[in-house]
Amino acid sequence: MALKRNVGLKGIKYRGGGPMISWALHRISGLAIVLFVGLHVISSFFMQQLGSDFATAINTVYESIYFQFVMIFIVLFHALNGLRVIILDLWPRLIKYQREATWLQWLIFIPAYGMTVVVMILNQLQGG
Amino acid sequence: MEVTLRIFRYNPENGKKPHYEEYKVTAEPTDRVLDLLEYIKGNFDGTLSFRRSCAHGICGSDAMRINGHNRLACKLLVKDLHGGKITIEPILGLRVIKDLIVDMEPFFENYRSVLPYLINDEPAPKKERLQSSEERERFDDTTKCILCACCTTSCPSFWVNEQYVGPAAIVTAHRFIFDSRDRGAAERLKILSGQFGVYRCHTIFNCTEACPREIEVTQAIGEVKKAIATGDLG
Repeated sequence: MALKRNVGLKGIKYRGGGPMISWALHRISGLAIVLFVGLHVISSFFMQQLGSDFATAINTVYESIYFQFVMIFIVLFHALNGLRVIILDLWPRLIKYQREATWLQWLIFIPAYGMTVVVMILNQLQGG
Repeated sequence: MEVTLRIFRYNPENGKKPHYEEYKVTAEPTDRVLDLLEYIKGNFDGTLSFRRSCAHGICGSDAMRINGHNRLACKLLVKDLHGGKITIEPILGLRVIKDLIVDMEPFFENYRSVLPYLINDEPAPKKERLQSSEERERFDDTTKCILCACCTTSCPSFWVNEQYVGPAAIVTAHRFIFDSRDRGAAERLKILSGQFGVYRCHTIFNCTEACPREIEVTQAIGEVKKAIATGDLG
């Protein structure tokens, strides 16, 4: 009898390289954004309806600078990677340049993320 | 050089669970992985099972996962694996029948679903159906497919659902959709725009990386997506 079809964790070990990592990160960052928006909605609800400490506790988590560093990384990566995929979908003849497209994506990401982080740190230092 | 091969083993007849076995062999850097498998089968364990036929990268029989990548064992040289340890496993997403042999039927079922043959009911001309070099060039890349299943079984969308037609079937459909002599494009595009068609492709590029014939698989899928959206076969 043949073995049952079962990929599971073996799929994670497949060595697809950079493009596969980008795809996995896109999924993970998408879930993280849903989680962030979910937290925001929950905290707004509790704050407006009950004015509870629970809402303040959630706010403390997602308003902390470390959480925001991570969120900006996630949102910016998700947006730029999504744009790359949309462009390749609209113009399939560009797909042969997908490696270059990935480099370009990081070339935009690194200064954009870096500058945002610097501004946030400066604001924090100034007590903003 | 001495090489250790760690090979996935499963025999439904001996009652043992799937496991890995290690074999140490002496190999030349220019030996192919298939040569090592043949050596092990001939000298250590005659029960080791794997598919092979032409052994020259044409028949597509010996697709397997080698050090985590889908490759043809007959095209991969030991020196290109950069190390003394080689892990060999069956391709993912298809049921394992024995050792490195998988049940290819779901793969071929998907292949047949895209009508992989020339459709033209118009009366045949006296000689052949003529085609310009430019028209032939349009689908040249996708004529190279050897149906080894390296692409389809490297695709996470196929791992999740074997009903997804998969890259190989779309590559074959592309070969006929963009053939100026074919008249079945509309029918194929309708099939591929369905629930398990091209939109299951999430531009992951594993297929392109895995193809031993260096076909631009993701590009072919992208062109089919665009043809569905615009109706343009240019």
